[in-house]
Amino acid sequence: MFPGTKILLVDQDEELRSSLEVFLERLGFDVISTGKAEIAFTEIQKDHPAVVMSGNQLEDMPGIQLLRRLRREYPQIEMILVVDEGDISTGVEGLRLGASDYIHKPVNSEALQVLLKRALDRREKGFLIQRYRKNYESVNRNKILLQQLFDSVPCYISLQDENFRLTGANKRFKEDFGDYLGSHCYEVYKHRSEPCISCPVEATFHDGEPHQTEEVVTSQSGEQYNVLTWTAPLRDVSGKITQVMEMSTNITQIRKLEGHLTSLGLLLGSMSHGIRGLLTALDGGIYRLETGIEKGEQERIDGALETVKATIQRIRSMVLDILYYTKDRELNWTRVNVLDFANQVAGLIRPKAEKYNIAFQYDFHQADTFFEIDAGLLSSALVNILENSIDACIDDRSSDKSYEVIFNITVNKDHVVFEAIDNGTGMDRQMRENLFTLFFSSKGYRGTGLGLFIANQVVEQHGGTIDVTSELGKGSCFRINVPKVIPEDVKYAKDCGKEDNT
Amino acid sequence: MAKKILIVDDDPNIISYLTDFFGDNGYETCSAMDGSEAMGIVKKEKPDLITLDLEMPEEWGPRFFRKLMKEKEYSKIPVIVISGLTGAKYAIQKAVASIHKPFDRDELLKIVEESIA
Repeated sequence: MFPGTKILLVDQDEELRSSLEVFLERLGFDVISTGKAEIAFTEIQKDHPAVVMSGNQLEDMPGIQLLRRLRREYPQIEMILVVDEGDISTGVEGLRLGASDYIHKPVNSEALQVLLKRALDRREKGFLIQRYRKNYESVNRNKILLQQLFDSVPCYISLQDENFRLTGANKRFKEDFGDYLGSHCYEVYKHRSEPCISCPVEATFHDGEPHQTEEVVTSQSGEQYNVLTWTAPLRDVSGKITQVMEMSTNITQIRKLEGHLTSLGLLLGSMSHGIRGLLTALDGGIYRLETGIEKGEQERIDGALETVKATIQRIRSMVLDILYYTKDRELNWTRVNVLDFANQVAGLIRPKAEKYNIAFQYDFHQADTFFEIDAGLLSSALVNILENSIDACIDDRSSDKSYEVIFNITVNKDHVVFEAIDNGTGMDRQMRENLFTLFFSSKGYRGTGLGLFIANQVVEQHGGTIDVTSELGKGSCFRINVPKVIPEDVKYAKDCGKEDNT
Repeated sequence: MAKKILIVDDDPNIISYLTDFFGDNGYETCSAMDGSEAMGIVKKEKPDLITLDLEMPEEWGPRFFRKLMKEKEYSKIPVIVISGLTGAKYAIQKAVASIHKPFDRDELLKIVEESIA
């Protein structure tokens, strides 16, 4: 019945022990027997019996005491207490201390058999419970770990049902998009009132496969993020898809960087032709300088020097354009007198106009007022536009008409309007429309396609506009509208360095 | 008699460079600032060789080249493409050579000598 189960028998009554021993062995127990508690504990330590059956009178201590120690040191061992006939109180005390049962002397064999079975069952259940508890604890630990992972992964994770309602979300999601369980994904993520056109969650519900998309989502605070979205099905025990997990990685920074790199690459790519031309011109200048000196030809030396100087000037402005373009600049604005500013700009243009014998006229009589600008930036933009006006006159080879560039300023309530008028080549419609496009140039070897693009950006940054009217063969008019006061949002976007300048 | 080279480039600095360089090496030169001007000069000067830039404001190099090839009298003139456009190697396949700016002038001279020896 109990083959190989170890039982330890302790009682000072040796006769009782041996008769019980015979009985127990017949039941298949492996019996160890002793009259002393001390020996009993040595045996327990050595043999780990499943059950200890002890009388209340031992040679060195009462059975109750042995029970106490047993419970304390070996809680997994069951104990049956054998008490004297009628000694219910010791029996009950034994139960209270954790004995699995007690039995009266003289021991009834059938009753003992039942008690032994119960004790062993109890032991078995104890083990089971212990195992379950351990499992439970580890499950619980894993659950906490998973929750931590769920919350701290650098992604937005949400769970959605078939109607795109959020049934769960991780901490990051809640932080950026709010804790709105039960609301629709498209409302929370995109502030839409109906599902998105090609929804990866819908696709996963449909085919049970993971899907990937790139989306632009809007956070609670109104910021836009580029996210890379993965979906995966969650199935119940029967394999039916009950929810879909959507995991979105914020790749805004990568996209921004990429955009910048792309335009930088585009920039350098399309400028390489110009740069190659400049390097060749420089080679030529140096060659002619060297050979001119060798041959003592002053004319060649002079020409070469002119080439080198002009080429270096062109390289300089090209490099400065590139530097401008590769940097996000904020307006470094101050309140500036329009007249002073305009005189400065005119001063930069006059020498070039004189060099090419182009009349340069200006009318600043309205200009004695103030406006808020980044003087360095706006001045370079205006110089660029005026230089274009002069170039338009230089390039016009049509007749011997006398060329002029007019630079006027009118001031109205909110704006200062600069006009750059020339009677040079003029532009057709296509040129006019592409004028401010990056890398558009009509100037052949002289143009980089950056100048007007940047001028336009600068004016726009000031909250202004440039209008262009032009007719092929007659000339062009650039009208640059700059607000007197920089719009609040532009000022606001400026960093705290502002105080240093005002 | 010295051989004559027509230099077609929209950058006057490069024209004066090549003019002096070829002149120093015993060639006569003439020049044009773009493709449409170049055709007239070909007819007038009847050069032995042409160096051709590809990207010019009025008329691009390839178009000039096609026109040149249609004129029986001039279609045998060797053309060397000198361009700042990379990947321009195949823009004019029949060119005797295609070199990139900035170029090695000794290499250019060698190509010229081989073409009109």
